[in-house]
Amino acid sequence: MNLEMLMQDPALWGLGIATLAFAMLAVSVKNLVHAVLWLGMSLLGTAALFAKFDASFLAAIQVLLYVGGVVVLLIFGVMLTREHDNLAAFRTTRRPVRAALVAIALFVGLVHAILNTPGLGDPSAGKLVSMPDLGMSLLGPYAFAFEVLSLLLLAAMVGAVVLARKRDPGQPSAKKLIRHRNLGRQVVEGLAATDEVGQ
Amino acid sequence: MQGLLRGLVYGGLIITVLMTATAWGMWLERKLAARMQSRIGPNVVGKFGLLQPVADLMKLLQKEEIYPIGADRLLFDLAPFLVTTFAIATAAVVPFSAEAVGADLDVGLLWVLALGGLMVIPVWMAGWASNNKFALIGGMRAVAQSISYGVPLVLTSLVAVVFTGTMSLSGIVKFQIEHGWLALWPPGPGVVAFVLFYMALLAESNRIPFDIPEAESELVAGITTEYTGMKFGLLYVGEYVHTMVGSAIAAVIFLGGWDGPFHIASGLHWMVIKTVALFASVYWVRWSLLRFRSDQLMRLCWLYLVPVSLGLVVFAALWRHFVLR
Repeated sequence: MNLEMLMQDPALWGLGIATLAFAMLAVSVKNLVHAVLWLGMSLLGTAALFAKFDASFLAAIQVLLYVGGVVVLLIFGVMLTREHDNLAAFRTTRRPVRAALVAIALFVGLVHAILNTPGLGDPSAGKLVSMPDLGMSLLGPYAFAFEVLSLLLLAAMVGAVVLARKRDPGQPSAKKLIRHRNLGRQVVEGLAATDEVGQ
Repeated sequence: MQGLLRGLVYGGLIITVLMTATAWGMWLERKLAARMQSRIGPNVVGKFGLLQPVADLMKLLQKEEIYPIGADRLLFDLAPFLVTTFAIATAAVVPFSAEAVGADLDVGLLWVLALGGLMVIPVWMAGWASNNKFALIGGMRAVAQSISYGVPLVLTSLVAVVFTGTMSLSGIVKFQIEHGWLALWPPGPGVVAFVLFYMALLAESNRIPFDIPEAESELVAGITTEYTGMKFGLLYVGEYVHTMVGSAIAAVIFLGGWDGPFHIASGLHWMVIKTVALFASVYWVRWSLLRFRSDQLMRLCWLYLVPVSLGLVVFAALWRHFVLR
């Protein structure tokens, strides 16, 4: 489908505006649970946009991983935080200027990257990619990038396990080690002091 | 425009068939349960109690709607409808025969898994919006269970994808018509994958022995505690539809779908027979086994189901590479 033709499609505009509106709601409502659910709606909107562009694999993955996975994990996170009903606790507008700068920089960067994508506006570039082609390219020409990404995920997972691990009671904690070192220094200094006294 | 019309007609047909099947599925379950426990079951309304679902429906429609104090009304109202909607939407891609398929997506299996995974969100919504601790615990258990059992469910589905080389559900059936049903061939691993898929399915649709989200001996009625009337009914209908569509998908992926044994009289009726048999077996298990404890449930999943299904995926890849080539 031609890009200009697509831009005149009311369904596309409706989906886009709805996705944006859900995203706005996700960051502006004060109830944290509602915010998570609005985020889920916004991600569903993105999935619908993918489907609109005939990228059915991306749409299904978006629903499976983001709505089914990330939103569910966020629900877990919200339920584990204390006072998730206390709305005032989550009004975090402490550094508005810095936040705005980061947001604007990110927006400009993304727009720049999108406008410089090769093949943008070229109708032939948007040809359908079939599932077997996608699988073959992931395991063929892009196998290295694919493996690097899986390694990154593995590292993140191991890191999370290390952070969440219960400390072995036999192994001294970092705090204790520091105290031990201080104790050692005190002993050494104390010995030195007695030495001076002795001389 | 023609596609839209076809979609509407087929969608309406699927909703009608599924809802009717669900109503009499409940009747079937009550009859089976009664038989297993030396009771009689529904036998007053209509012959063999066959009109019992109608009576139940009339009763549910007349019940008073109650909102608990402090409930999140919008989410409380929305949850039962979303549970049922997601469960029915899954059925859109199920091929009931070579012709009777709503949308033959080339990512059909992925669509099923995505929507199945999504169902936990309205279930949790129902628990949270009720402003009831039992309901909330039930909702959280549902989330934990769904995340964990989603892993073996996806992995065992992946076994089928690797064997058949397609994610289209009708493509998977066509492969099985040529090469034999996946549960039977290759002998051994196929049936293990089928059993694991079945177990994960029981857990995903919150059926005994994995029904800890609504464990009535400890959580009153879990997420449904505060619900009344038709909203309560819809939560139940959602679960039944989920089980029924899940049985249909298990039949498609592992039992050859509409293909008859030895290709005898293939057609829609075989799909119906297989689905109803699997559906009834879910309730056979339900009335035979005890409920797992939460920690046992997690151990079973992460220590046994996940490693075995990972091994099955590796086996499937090797089989595909060395035998099917």
